[in-house]
Amino acid sequence: MKRKVIALLLASTMVLSMTACGGSGGDSGSSSGSTASSEGGGSGDNTLTVWTWDPNFNVYAIEKAAEIYAQDHEGFKVEVTEVLSDDIETNLTTAASAGDYSTLPDIFLMQDNSFQKYVANYPDIFTDLTDSGVDFSQFAEAKVAYSVVDGKNYGVPFDNGAVIAAYRTDYLEQAGFTIDDFTDITWSDFMEKAKVVKEKTGQPILTSQAGSPDLIMEMLQSCGASLFNEDGSVNIVGNDALKECMEIYVQMVEDGTLVEVTDWDQYVASLNNGTVASSINGCWIMASITAQEDQSGKWAITNMPRLERQENATNYSNNGGSSWAISSNCDNPELAMDFLNATFAGSTELYDDLLTAGTGAIATWSPAKESDVYAEPSEFFGGDAVNSKILGFSEQTPSNVTGPFYYDARNAVGTALSAITQQGADMDSEIEKAQDTVEFNMGG
Amino acid sequence: MKGSGKKLSLERRHNLTGWVFLIPATALIAWMSFYPMIQAFILSLQTGLGINLKFGGLTNYTRILQDATFRQCLFNTIFYLIIQVPVMLILALILASMLNNKHLRFKGLFRTMIFLPCATSLVSYSMIFRSMFANDGLVNTLLRGIGMEPVMWFANAWTARAVIIIALIWRWTGYNMVFYLAGLQNIEYSVYEAAKIDGASPRQSFFKITVPLLKPTILLTAIMSTNGTLQLFDESMNLTNGGPGQATMTLSHYIYNMSFVQSPNFGYSAAMSIIVLIMVAVLAVIQMKVGDER
Repeated sequence: MKRKVIALLLASTMVLSMTACGGSGGDSGSSSGSTASSEGGGSGDNTLTVWTWDPNFNVYAIEKAAEIYAQDHEGFKVEVTEVLSDDIETNLTTAASAGDYSTLPDIFLMQDNSFQKYVANYPDIFTDLTDSGVDFSQFAEAKVAYSVVDGKNYGVPFDNGAVIAAYRTDYLEQAGFTIDDFTDITWSDFMEKAKVVKEKTGQPILTSQAGSPDLIMEMLQSCGASLFNEDGSVNIVGNDALKECMEIYVQMVEDGTLVEVTDWDQYVASLNNGTVASSINGCWIMASITAQEDQSGKWAITNMPRLERQENATNYSNNGGSSWAISSNCDNPELAMDFLNATFAGSTELYDDLLTAGTGAIATWSPAKESDVYAEPSEFFGGDAVNSKILGFSEQTPSNVTGPFYYDARNAVGTALSAITQQGADMDSEIEKAQDTVEFNMGG
Repeated sequence: MKGSGKKLSLERRHNLTGWVFLIPATALIAWMSFYPMIQAFILSLQTGLGINLKFGGLTNYTRILQDATFRQCLFNTIFYLIIQVPVMLILALILASMLNNKHLRFKGLFRTMIFLPCATSLVSYSMIFRSMFANDGLVNTLLRGIGMEPVMWFANAWTARAVIIIALIWRWTGYNMVFYLAGLQNIEYSVYEAAKIDGASPRQSFFKITVPLLKPTILLTAIMSTNGTLQLFDESMNLTNGGPGQATMTLSHYIYNMSFVQSPNFGYSAAMSIIVLIMVAVLAVIQMKVGDER
């Protein structure tokens, strides 16, 4: 018995000492990691590190911007690391939770809808850009609002997410309509015409990813409404705008003019296969539409329908888009600010290049509209100058409250929507459930 | 006296050698596994969003009781557990005893084919199942081919859950079968031959010989499958994305959403993880008590 006790004691002391070694080993590991990254983070006076995700889109954009900036700033360059949007957010969360910001790059791109959440929960990640010299009034107001918290600017707007309605003109023709019949219309008008299109062509007018409230969120913003009040409290029960949007959606599903598909791939496939007559989505959907080259000339773009019961209803909304942020780990924030100010907030050359290079990144920066490149007609969309048109849309988009609980509310509405359309649940009780869910999450 | 003293120290030395060999692994487990678990428990006592955390005692645990989404996800997870685990284990057992037959040809080929699903990544197989069960996917095309109505698999809560269970069975049956095959190697073939001579039917020898002798292995696979199903994440995330609504969302998926999709509430997420841990532990203890007859 005694020797067993001794053995156990010996063993446990050894385990403890080993753990201690292990612990210190871990420490040295992480510190060497951070020196490596801080070298990356601030090497030289003229190099900025950037995290962004799409080589054909935003990586190209920031590299092009650096090239333009380097023309007057000898030796300036950016080091871009491709990090997926979700991974950027996870990395930010990890860094902030650990209280070690040294792993962050100088500049990173962030989805507009995530901005409020991150600024509220991890304020120390961001650098305040209010006095950075960037003239935010030159950007579309609704776009800038995404990255403004408590009156302070935390992001420089990048790509446009203005909502467009893209129609198959050949289908409209078969039903006896032109694109003008779908411009500046109301939803009830749209729904009636959709029935005719369905009858004549056999195709639904819209497809939607089941359970995804994208369309609802677009409709809400088109009248400046949101799932939150100005003071941040949940605004789902008794929100007439939301109810009108959901009624329209549910009615269209019943009419068979809106068909729900399983996932995003099928949504894009429905556009490319011609099994749907239109798409109402952020203007970035154009890249998916134009991918089907043999449909060139069969599409036209106009604004989305507007709600009727709402006072501030417009035909314009927003879905998606992202903005540049400067991290608190940036050793030279003046350089980073000046760089963004001179390019994304000051260079028509940059935005022109982004269009001609085929990235599909449309600006939200108004002066870009003046350039000839933006006025060039697009053959794919029936010879229309779609780029300046979309930039015009974004200027008229109402801004709405997103708030840090945007995704909580969005998920709750999506759950309610699929319960109603797919399981025939009662709308009022589902709306109440959604309100409870979001309030529960906020109560944590 | 002297002799026995010497013997003791030798034994002690042996003991110590054994402990020394154990130490590296033990230390690594303590550092990489137990330490984070303790940290998670401490985190579960804190409330607040993002980094704005403060001590909240058991608030998170009482919150779980009021959470309707948690109840829904718990129901989903337990539903998968009670349907999928027995079906899968019985299938695996049947397949294993069929493939253990000495007279079967191309045994290696069959074994490999049944085990192969395990070699696919969780995400990619989920995505393949999603496209197979899509509205115009392979399964509906086949249904139409034999003159049946296509099913909107992901539009209905029960069919969506069925797809997840089918996918799980496809992915994991071969994995469990390998354990049973290994267990079957330890059963003397002469036992079966003796039973055969005594006039036992294949059915009898399966229930009277195979199952009792495989009991430890069955217990092991049951605990592992229970554990795995309670922590199910990839299928819920990639195959159905929890939909329709939250009808197929698992607890781990909800915990993930709570931490990384919605406003980050790590304290609450940690508390839910601790509940999952307790459930796994309790179920494992019950299974061991039931399965262990000593």
